Amino acid sequence: MTEGINGFSSPRADVFPAGLRVLVVDDDPTWLKILEKMLKKCSYEVTTCALAIEALDLLRERKDGFDIVISDVNMPDMDGFKLLEHVGLEMDLPVIMMSVDGETSRVMRGVQHGACDYLLKPIRMKELRNIWQHVYRKKIHEVRDTESHESLESLEEILMMRNVSEQSDDGYLLCGGDMTPGKKRKDAEHKYDDKDFGDHSSVKKARVVWTVDLHQKFVKAVNHIGFEKVGPKKILDLMNVPWLTRENVASHLQKYRLYLTRLQKDDLKTSSSGIKHPDFSPRDAAGDRTDHIKMQQNEAVNSYRAPSNLLLQNANSRIHEVDLKGTASLQTIEPKKVLTGFAAKSHMASSSNIGISHSFGSTQYSTYNTVLPTQYSWSEGFTEIQFKQERNPQFQVENGFADLGLPTLQQHNQVNLQPVQSIANGLFSKERDKQAKSSSGTKSSFGSYSVPSQNLMPSFQPPDPSFQPPDPSFQLPDPVTSSTWSLKDDHSLEQTSINNLELSAFWLQGQHCSSTNLDMQNKVPECNDPEFIAEVPSNLYDALRFDYEYEYPSDSLEYPVVGQGLFIV
Amino acid sequence: MDRNQMQMHRQIANIRKSLFDQEYLDEQFIQLEELQDNSNPNFVEEVVTLFYRDSARFLYNLDQALEKRPLDFSKLDSLMHQFKGSSSSIGAKKVKIECTHFRDYCNARNAEGCKRTFQHVKKEYTTLKKKLEAYFQMSRQTGPVERACRPR
Repeated sequence: MTEGINGFSSPRADVFPAGLRVLVVDDDPTWLKILEKMLKKCSYEVTTCALAIEALDLLRERKDGFDIVISDVNMPDMDGFKLLEHVGLEMDLPVIMMSVDGETSRVMRGVQHGACDYLLKPIRMKELRNIWQHVYRKKIHEVRDTESHESLESLEEILMMRNVSEQSDDGYLLCGGDMTPGKKRKDAEHKYDDKDFGDHSSVKKARVVWTVDLHQKFVKAVNHIGFEKVGPKKILDLMNVPWLTRENVASHLQKYRLYLTRLQKDDLKTSSSGIKHPDFSPRDAAGDRTDHIKMQQNEAVNSYRAPSNLLLQNANSRIHEVDLKGTASLQTIEPKKVLTGFAAKSHMASSSNIGISHSFGSTQYSTYNTVLPTQYSWSEGFTEIQFKQERNPQFQVENGFADLGLPTLQQHNQVNLQPVQSIANGLFSKERDKQAKSSSGTKSSFGSYSVPSQNLMPSFQPPDPSFQPPDPSFQLPDPVTSSTWSLKDDHSLEQTSINNLELSAFWLQGQHCSSTNLDMQNKVPECNDPEFIAEVPSNLYDALRFDYEYEYPSDSLEYPVVGQGLFIV
Repeated sequence: MDRNQMQMHRQIANIRKSLFDQEYLDEQFIQLEELQDNSNPNFVEEVVTLFYRDSARFLYNLDQALEKRPLDFSKLDSLMHQFKGSSSSIGAKKVKIECTHFRDYCNARNAEGCKRTFQHVKKEYTTLKKKLEAYFQMSRQTGPVERACRPR
């Protein structure tokens, strides 16, 4: 193994998948021994761990030290699903679950929580031989999504790329805000210097998950300093988040500025209608880009307006306050990116997807959808997120429940459906961006997340390939069945869903729905875990702490932004 | 090798075969054998030893749990689930089968069934242990055995 700067080994891209760095977590020492041996036989580099907490520490310590994690579902110190979510959220690594229990509900939970595969014990060698595909797939997605220069390089570089994420130089390349060209160039160059392609282990930036919490800090700092005078360094100092780098903030600030600009434009363009747009008809992806952009813009505006409550208003007011400087360039360059993000969420499923499918590059633009739930429909995520109460009604409507002819959407109903929806969505792979068209909110039988399904797709981490039916429209019926299950759920679901819906601005960045630990405090959501799957341990969801974060397991794409002016990338 | 050794090898092979034929072991055991190589020449035995050492605690806990009144079926089920998972690691087929029965009784909240089945589990567990111990001992005495082959 080549040793990186930090002394951690890096994968040898030239002989991929040999040298794949695997972390195995299992409390059964016998299995741990066997798996270690099996993986070594596959020429992988194996690290074993008997405790989930230990595994997390290891992962955090060696931010780029692993390519993939394999974990048993039943761990004594932490539920395997929780670990799964943490890993997805914080490290954005593919996670494979294992269990001797192959019950469908369990497997489904695994997928919901973001597992990219679920293996049944006893595990065969041949099953382990192929795990590299999950790593590869993820890389491919990231590459596709970011459109960064690096990603366009050869496969080896892609594989070596640890952080093909929104941290890419895109933000620097775009004009916007008040960055002078000179400064931009300098930053961009600096960034490239940091990225030493030859030495794949040099770039150890972990993906920053801009949780709602984090973003709020950011916004507070920005407002405190004064938008005009703001700069990454100042913000960073004010935010007082030790692990956050100036670069993280700078990139985030860039996006935030663009977001605000866009909002401002939209603001001037349309009048608030408070409409719910449950049925965004599928866009014709074949249309030219400009059209799409326009559509997205409109949609974005609309969706932005739709949820009249809350969040948007704040954002609006903020926009007015802000005096954005020359963003002329935005028009040309940004729209796609900005819109992409925007469109992605909620009803704009179709448009967003289109945006996505166009690969507008950084998906990091948060969609300022107010209807976040869609994205969070990621099963559990839902329950955990603590959204503001008011959101619910809107959400419901927006989610196209109306389409279902359920005018009196009860929250419970919604709740029930959501998890399911998310499940269904989870099943959709991000790759299905093309599906944008089909995804109109109406389609999803659940109504609520129909859009999300579209949106969700990108966010889901690459689900098990077998789950990805190529035809998007074809998938929609599936959720129906799953949704019916959810209807049996108990009230806890209801509650949780409400909480989820309330999440005003949450922005999930990264790929998994789960509480992020980036923010040190873990707020346990008040909701109980929805028991839509029989064995959900009650503390499982607590751990999920979705508070405000909801991450989509998609590697690419934009992260939903709830209108509150919170911009989370 | 001399005739004696050849005979020993044949004997060992037969013992091994019978373990499969009588369903004491399944495919997983073969997986372990295939993992054995020069860097880990006693891999299978090490794994089996590790299993028996580690799994003893499950049996102990299950015994304890079965003494309680009333029975906590979900706990029993959970313990047995883990034990079953562990047993699957070495391919302990009969043991696994009994574990499944036990869990069925747990789900049915059948205390008598649970207790009875648990006895079967322990019996299979112990029987297998003895057989494997004998098998490994003989193997060691005889020297390296032929490559693992699937039972016909």
